[in-house]
Amino acid sequence: MRAYIIRRLLLAIPTLLGITAVTFLIIQLAPGNPAAMASRLGGEGLTDDAMSREIVEQTKKLYGLDKPIPVQYALWLKRLVTFDFGTSYKDHRTVLEKILERLPVSLQLSLTSIFLVYLFAVPIGVYSSTHQYSLSDNAITVFLFILYSLPNFWVATLLIMFLGGGDFLNVFPIYGLVSDNYEQLAFWGRVGDRLWHLVLPITCLTYGGLASISRFGRVGMLEAIRQDYVRTARAKGVSEKVVIFKHAFRNSIIPIVTLLAALLPAMLGGSVIVESIFSIPGMGQLAFESILARDYPVIMGVTTISALLTLIGILLADICYALVDPRISLE
Amino acid sequence: MASSRNSQIFKFLCIPAIILILAGLSCRRQDSDEVETSVTLGASESAGEPVQGDWVIRRLQAEPKTLNSITARDMYERIVNEYVYDSLIDRSKKTLELQPVLAESYTISDDRLEYTFKLRRDIRFHDGAPMTARDVEFTFKRIKDPTVDAAHLRHYYKDIESIEVIDDYTVKFKCTEPYWLALEWAGGFPVMPRHIFEKGDFNNHPNGRHPIGTGPYRFVKWDTGREIVLERNDDYWGEKSYPDRIVFKIVVDETAALQLFKRGELDVCVRLTPEQWVRQTKGPRFEQNAYKLSYDEFGYYYIGWNMRRPYFADKRVRRAMTHLIDREGILKNIRYGLGKIVTGNTYINGPVYDHSIEPWPYDPSEARRLLEEAGWVDHDGDGVRDKGGVPFSFEFLISAHSVFAEQLATIMQEDFKQVGIEMSIRQFEWATFEQQVHDRKFDATTLAWSVPVEGDPYQTWHSSQAEKGSNYVGFVNAEADKIMEEGRREFDAETRRAMYRKLHAILHEEQPYTFLFCPKELIVVDRRFENVKAYNYRLALEPKEWYVPKERQKYGRETDAS
Repeated sequence: MRAYIIRRLLLAIPTLLGITAVTFLIIQLAPGNPAAMASRLGGEGLTDDAMSREIVEQTKKLYGLDKPIPVQYALWLKRLVTFDFGTSYKDHRTVLEKILERLPVSLQLSLTSIFLVYLFAVPIGVYSSTHQYSLSDNAITVFLFILYSLPNFWVATLLIMFLGGGDFLNVFPIYGLVSDNYEQLAFWGRVGDRLWHLVLPITCLTYGGLASISRFGRVGMLEAIRQDYVRTARAKGVSEKVVIFKHAFRNSIIPIVTLLAALLPAMLGGSVIVESIFSIPGMGQLAFESILARDYPVIMGVTTISALLTLIGILLADICYALVDPRISLE
Repeated sequence: MASSRNSQIFKFLCIPAIILILAGLSCRRQDSDEVETSVTLGASESAGEPVQGDWVIRRLQAEPKTLNSITARDMYERIVNEYVYDSLIDRSKKTLELQPVLAESYTISDDRLEYTFKLRRDIRFHDGAPMTARDVEFTFKRIKDPTVDAAHLRHYYKDIESIEVIDDYTVKFKCTEPYWLALEWAGGFPVMPRHIFEKGDFNNHPNGRHPIGTGPYRFVKWDTGREIVLERNDDYWGEKSYPDRIVFKIVVDETAALQLFKRGELDVCVRLTPEQWVRQTKGPRFEQNAYKLSYDEFGYYYIGWNMRRPYFADKRVRRAMTHLIDREGILKNIRYGLGKIVTGNTYINGPVYDHSIEPWPYDPSEARRLLEEAGWVDHDGDGVRDKGGVPFSFEFLISAHSVFAEQLATIMQEDFKQVGIEMSIRQFEWATFEQQVHDRKFDATTLAWSVPVEGDPYQTWHSSQAEKGSNYVGFVNAEADKIMEEGRREFDAETRRAMYRKLHAILHEEQPYTFLFCPKELIVVDRRFENVKAYNYRLALEPKEWYVPKERQKYGRETDAS
């Protein structure tokens, strides 16, 4: 097992290199030039061509964009070895500082949400597969499909309008992750305050995943139930409970474990809308803004970190395979 | 601050995260009836003597990147730093006249090339250090320094060649050319403390996130992604401010912002959407708790016709296009009528704008006549007009995410089809869109300009700016060029305004743009405040002069929000 993990970690290095190289190339090739943008944002200025070209050249030099792309990439890699992602073009803070400020916020949201997705999705999946085509299964199916088709921003807007005070019910806070008086609260007060703030954003992040994962759970389970070993178990007179949870369940769970690896990065990147509606300073907003502003160092930093998380996610999923299915060996 | 001094700035139509500088400056008022300086809200007169106390909690639509005034490029920085930093001179919001701030007085040499400022001797930075000529020099030199990330400012300081410190309290700027805006630029930048910023990397200086200035409010804290807090500087030498604190909450989403306002967590909410204004800010409960305030935004929307294209080279065709666009209808249907149709390039309530010019009416039959006169007839009977083998088929470039541009484009496409003009719509993400426009790779596009109350049209309309400058549409006109060249050196405000009015008339005649409208800025303010006004100047709102009678005060000096 340990040898396997080490091998996988070593393999992750070329993968990561590949991802960063491609990203670096793509963002540089995309139209829009940060140096020109920087000098343009204040208007074109009362200036002649030579002057404005000179200013753009100076800015390129300042940003390190005057060198050829491969050299820039090599320099970027060199700095990466020491975990130096460079500084943002926008505010000249280090990229690492900016990411570390936001990563915990995003992880807090996405890990909670993933936990809740699995907590609810797995039982729902098992239930609807064991009650296939019953009224309750059909009802769940319809309900999940409706949930799945509701766009995030719409649900979030409705939630803050109807449960966030103003003209309707004032149940939940809608600004940030803590109240203004958070610092003055006692420990449990803080925990409660934070949880209370998390309710609405987590709801928005969770329902979509819940709908899809529980469908996958249902399908996986239905397939497992039809296998010969399940029929054998039943024929032997094993109780239905044991058949379902001991024999069928573990085999059905592999596909949804795979999905876990895909869910984490998707949640990190895909929460832009939820973050902006609930004024939560997370990774999604950082990534989105840096792309719009062509803030190359931040884009690269965010990509590298999420690539790393994805690779770790995949590795974890593989390890989970071995745990749920003894037939899979990692040696 | 100097970034506001340029006359016209690209305004981002949609994503609030990027730049939108509502700069209003450089208005020189001579006759009292010319400029209406402020709109007062329905504040009751019986509120009694103004008292200090309470907080003002405002919304920022996006987080400033930095609070370093020189390297910052967004308006959000300005909204905050306006309270923290002062400049040598500034416009008075009330009279719109230039008045000394950190300077005691200034003199201008007869050739208009030297500007000498005498500084006040009683100014201290928030950390107690005195402000001297060295700080002014230091700040100016940072603007000119190529290693400082301030390219956007350097354009404007190109003609101000050098600064000379005459003594501790006197500085002299030297310019290479006489220019009527030079005084404002020379004296208009925020003075930053040399003793703080001279050590370390200027671009990434820690005090970029912890500004220390000379202004009426001092910086307290910046909670990333959440809020920036300022508190009143009681040692301030100038006009008295009333709120104890000004808190800026970062709220990106507009629905959430209005919701927070209704909950009482925000006291001021700016840039409401027309829909929110009409539908979501009414009812007795809302009206009891809030003022609704609107004023004409410092800017205008337009459609730019790339005059290098065969169809748009002819002014009759451009006129025809304007006749085909039902601006009244569009304004009414897309923006609930919240705006005014404009005919020219200056601020609609500014001293230059010529109200005697009537907008070209919506008139498809006149458009047909003009098109035929210009030779655009459907020769081959395919339903599309053509001339010399070129079909009248063009692409309308818009920025993705701009809902307005999208709606406008669809309406135009339909209306143009009726008269045999084929228009396709192309959407690009902002940075790409901007690049395309900058490279002149477009047939027609829609954008908005921010304009000051009175500014210099040179960079947007002079022929020298047609290849690389902001004259994207390629407007070249000898008479207009002459007006703009002479205008820059005309120091008599009235003469200059008359000249610029002529330019307005030329633009109306030539229609390089179809000028659309000046939108309304829509604002709601909590009703506990008195003396709430919107000025015809820069950021329009001045919360530091708002006050709350003692019994209505909501936040104490030290207590936190409840």
